[in-house]
Amino acid sequence: MTLVAVREDGPSLIDGYRASVGDGPLRALEALARRLRGHRVVMVNATATGGGVAEILHRLVRLMNELGVPTTWEVIPGDPRFYGITKTIHNTLHGWPGTLTEDDQAYFHEVNRRGAQALALDGDLVLIHDPQPAGLVLHRRQSRQHWVWRCHIDLSQAQLAVWDFLAPMVGAYDAAVFSHISFVPPLQVPAYLVPPSIDPLSDKNRELSDEEEAALLAPLQLSQRRPWVTQVSRFDRIKDPLGVIEAFLLTRKREDAQLVLAGGSADDDPEGAAVLAEVQEKAGKRADIAVRMLPPDAHLTINALQRRSTVVVQKSLREGFALTVSEALWKRRAVVASAVGGIPLQVIHERTGLLVRSVQGCSYQMTRLLRSPDLRKRLGAEGREHVRHNFLHPREARDYLAIFARLVEAAGG
Amino acid sequence: MTLGPFELVSVVHLVRPSGHRAGNLEELRVGIERADAASLFYHTIQGPLRQPDSSSGGLPQDDFSAWANGVLQDRETAERLSFAVQGHGGSEAELRQALLEALASVSEKERRERAAPAESALVFLTSESVRVPVGVSAYDADELVEALTAAGPDVWFHHLVEEPWYQDGVVPIARWAQSLGEARLASLLEEESRAGHGLEEMRRRLMRRWRQSRLHGRIAAAAAATEDERREAGRAAVAGLVRRITKTGGTE
Repeated sequence: MTLVAVREDGPSLIDGYRASVGDGPLRALEALARRLRGHRVVMVNATATGGGVAEILHRLVRLMNELGVPTTWEVIPGDPRFYGITKTIHNTLHGWPGTLTEDDQAYFHEVNRRGAQALALDGDLVLIHDPQPAGLVLHRRQSRQHWVWRCHIDLSQAQLAVWDFLAPMVGAYDAAVFSHISFVPPLQVPAYLVPPSIDPLSDKNRELSDEEEAALLAPLQLSQRRPWVTQVSRFDRIKDPLGVIEAFLLTRKREDAQLVLAGGSADDDPEGAAVLAEVQEKAGKRADIAVRMLPPDAHLTINALQRRSTVVVQKSLREGFALTVSEALWKRRAVVASAVGGIPLQVIHERTGLLVRSVQGCSYQMTRLLRSPDLRKRLGAEGREHVRHNFLHPREARDYLAIFARLVEAAGG
Repeated sequence: MTLGPFELVSVVHLVRPSGHRAGNLEELRVGIERADAASLFYHTIQGPLRQPDSSSGGLPQDDFSAWANGVLQDRETAERLSFAVQGHGGSEAELRQALLEALASVSEKERRERAAPAESALVFLTSESVRVPVGVSAYDADELVEALTAAGPDVWFHHLVEEPWYQDGVVPIARWAQSLGEARLASLLEEESRAGHGLEEMRRRLMRRWRQSRLHGRIAAAAAATEDERREAGRAAVAGLVRRITKTGGTE
């Protein structure tokens, strides 16, 4: 099965978003959707569960359908060899070592060729997410379609050889979309900047009662006595969980606290288990460091963890965007995060959170926040408003619809 | 002659790199000289839309002065650039000239020396405006103000900042009010359009001033009214108050 079934039960997303962002943004969204009546959208990525992209698509697809723009979501079928290759592509695009052999490249194209036959790519607008299915565009069958490549990855340090492999595919699209200006490589097609977003209505972000929160956290067996410093992320070297532990150990020399490292692993990430083992080894048997592996559907638990945390950390070495930052800000949490990728768009230093560039800086800001409730409150309040205006799903949906409208109208459609 | 109903429009700005990068003040000067109107607009005028709650009294909101200040640590040039934006935001030509003059106060040699690390270069962006009618039309001044009260910052930005900037200072929403004979509203809209306040401040000021002007108008009308007219107006006011209290369950 390549078609992802998106849950469409429950209350209307449009009504829920109106309550979160106000009437004005929703009116604009509905007006844009009216301009696209009669057009169909197909979204394609590599996984239906795990990772930020899948989370966004589950809601975006439903929202677009509610708005009257018929939208389907397809997942390119892969196998362990393909996922190994795409993981190498992912890592090397982030600047990490690794090479793609000619065989790897040929297999990547072969899986994309087969995918093009298996997937229902019959929309008027086809939005392809990330490198895994990027080669599908080479097999486009209908000339009147508009194909857009949506890159969620930080390409600023990309290995040239790997980008050179992808570039001819990206050049075959009608437009490309990136999360941040620094991620945009030289391209011959229009490149738009669209930051991703979070869903204020999802289990991961909705309000929780105190009772719900306590019930969700009880199985994790975390200290109730100490304030929590939490990083919620995949166990991935790019998220630097070992650096978080180092920063926390420095902080512990001055403040009492508990570090919580919680996360899971995406379906297409074969390295997750190895990184988790490294983290567990470094944490050792310390009672003040809790490492928790969460299943992909632990959205409510993550929600409760973030809400209960005194400080939320995102000490990534590279980032596409780090949606966990917007999640924490939406919950009015005080955030310490690395100034990489899309994080500075979310964390405006000293206004909506604190930016850091080193283990020492991270430790210093953790300590500062643990000591100052007033600072935490101020940053948290401003952070929530910043997210409300800029990083909720209605804004991202609006940007995609505007790009589609632009492409359709430019083609005389 | 009136122009028919006024349709409120929101706008989506699709942002793209324009292809120019500035690593020092000289490259910034060249970039400003060559930037198209949309790029200049994005980096200078569009700031309030990205931070609608900011007031004009805070840190510079335009990207050029923020970059000179934060990255180059050149506070003097940052102040000059910021002043150019705040003082000459009315038209593309004026603004470009003012920005270039601000940079001309630094010698070319110094402009080249005041450089940023490679990863902190200013990347010039441009924006494509996609107009989105929000489905609300006003037929008179009160309806317009009511519609604006409910509208988001994007609608305010489009009608009071973006349209005037691209139309050399002409404020179409004020022209519409003028065509209805609503000179006071037209004047308020034009003044707020030029004042350079943040969007939320602009909204607060316009609403306050409009209510005050309506109140003054009513007082003047009442003073000129006959005894019967005043009595009738008083009865209508009491009836309105009763309706409001009934509607809110007497809680207000």
